[in-house]
Amino acid sequence: MRKVTETDLPGVGVRFDLQTDAGRAVGVVVHQSGRRDLVVYDERDLDRACESVELSEDEGHTLGEILGGSPVLEHLDDAIHRLEDLVISWVTIAAKSSTAGMTLAESALRTRTGAGVVALVSDSGSIPIPAGTERLEPGDVAVVVGVPSAVMAATRLLTRPG
Amino acid sequence: MPTGGDLLIIELGAVVLGLAVVARLARRVGIPALPLYLLVGLALGEGGLVELPASAEFIEAGAEIGVILMLLMLGLEFSPHELVVNVRRSTLAGFVDLVLNFAPGVAAGLLLGFDPVVTVLLGGVTYISSSGIVAKLVADLDRIGNHETSVVLSVLVIEDLAMVLYLPIVSGVLFGDTLAGTILAVTISLAAVLAILGVAYFLGDRLSAIALSQSSEALLLTLLGVTLLVAGLAGRLNLSTAVGAFVVGVALSGDIVSHARGLLLPLRNLFAAVFFVFFGLQVDLSLIPGVAVAALAIAAATVVTKIASGWIAAARAGIGKPGRLRAGAALIAHGEFSIVIAELGIGRESDLGALAATYVIVLTLVGAVLYQFADSITLPARKPRRARA
Repeated sequence: MRKVTETDLPGVGVRFDLQTDAGRAVGVVVHQSGRRDLVVYDERDLDRACESVELSEDEGHTLGEILGGSPVLEHLDDAIHRLEDLVISWVTIAAKSSTAGMTLAESALRTRTGAGVVALVSDSGSIPIPAGTERLEPGDVAVVVGVPSAVMAATRLLTRPG
Repeated sequence: MPTGGDLLIIELGAVVLGLAVVARLARRVGIPALPLYLLVGLALGEGGLVELPASAEFIEAGAEIGVILMLLMLGLEFSPHELVVNVRRSTLAGFVDLVLNFAPGVAAGLLLGFDPVVTVLLGGVTYISSSGIVAKLVADLDRIGNHETSVVLSVLVIEDLAMVLYLPIVSGVLFGDTLAGTILAVTISLAAVLAILGVAYFLGDRLSAIALSQSSEALLLTLLGVTLLVAGLAGRLNLSTAVGAFVVGVALSGDIVSHARGLLLPLRNLFAAVFFVFFGLQVDLSLIPGVAVAALAIAAATVVTKIASGWIAAARAGIGKPGRLRAGAALIAHGEFSIVIAELGIGRESDLGALAATYVIVLTLVGAVLYQFADSITLPARKPRRARA
């Protein structure tokens, strides 16, 4: 994957920059509110945004899909490649799932499937290496690691009833 | 014949309407409205066009609330973790900014023969850029994506944090009578600030969750009540109410922040405007001619030192020359904090009010214009920017 530089904008959000081989630069400003600005930099002054288009969260997702997959997925390919038979998967916890609302310990995800939850990501932030007392809230994203079959089993538990 | 109460309402209505007119004017011309609010205050105050006998007290209370709301909203922009990360990353840029921009004020204080405390206050006045005005300029000119903007925002964060230490120190110095008393007052102030910041850092998330409410009315009242209480207590401890309000804003994080911003913004806008009017009211117009030359000279020096510190900070971040100039120009505008600091010293040095008001008005207008046209200054041969709608 191409190198994207990430810069904090205190009080605003985060800016991601990408320089193209042709010498142009584009960027995305992700605001704390979810708003995104698609930014095109001036050819002669690579620090100056000559165009800035405001996108809602939804519009940003759509544009991202048109442009080809999400960086998270590409990241995943990368990870799979390097870790050989380990898989990392980002699973959104479904409300209808039998595990939704349970704590990690209650769900017994690791003993039942062999895959582990290494992080929980919600709107209010992420919990790396969550303790057994953390809850699997519907809508949050669980980052699941394991061999492919174990991750598949864990994904089923987190997304499907029964 | 209007009774006292009616007169109060009539005066307030006229003042607010006057502010509305200048706000519209500022928008039309493309400059920040804040310096114009100060002008309105100057025109209405002592020795001005009209006096406001009935509403003076109300405006004074409103001004206090204005400071508190401005600082609360500023604090809301940051989380404690963000502040810590920022300080680690931009310490040097922040230090350069501090040294370069304290200098004009301190030099002027010495030349004008102010007492040491007032001299340090004047240093603070020239040091601190206006986060509010700069953030608004950046957004209005669509420069959030510009690379130098992250540098500008980092410097502003450091400045605001520096105020959290500076204000209690100067308040302590202002209220201590003897050397020992002063040292004690300053120590207590700083310990209290660090204690509150510690609470914000470790318990902010939990407190925010408790304060969150589905009812926006209940949330607004909770926020206002807590902030006024903490700010008032901080004021009691000579920590300055501003710092108390700022820390409450920093402590709040998570879901509550976006709700709080939406609820508080209209109130902030109203009372912040009242604050600038009030400061203008306190300034005796007849003092201004006497300090005008000094104010212009300090403003000119600040333009140079702010451009220099922005330039250096941006250069360290690997930004090209046009971007460095933009970073410097962005930092020129001064506002709320400069006035808050000047207000502390008005009792000691009557010229300080007139000096600070003139300085902020001139500097902020010049800064806004320079930042807007920073690109054409560097590269005159480039194609002109498209006219903004």
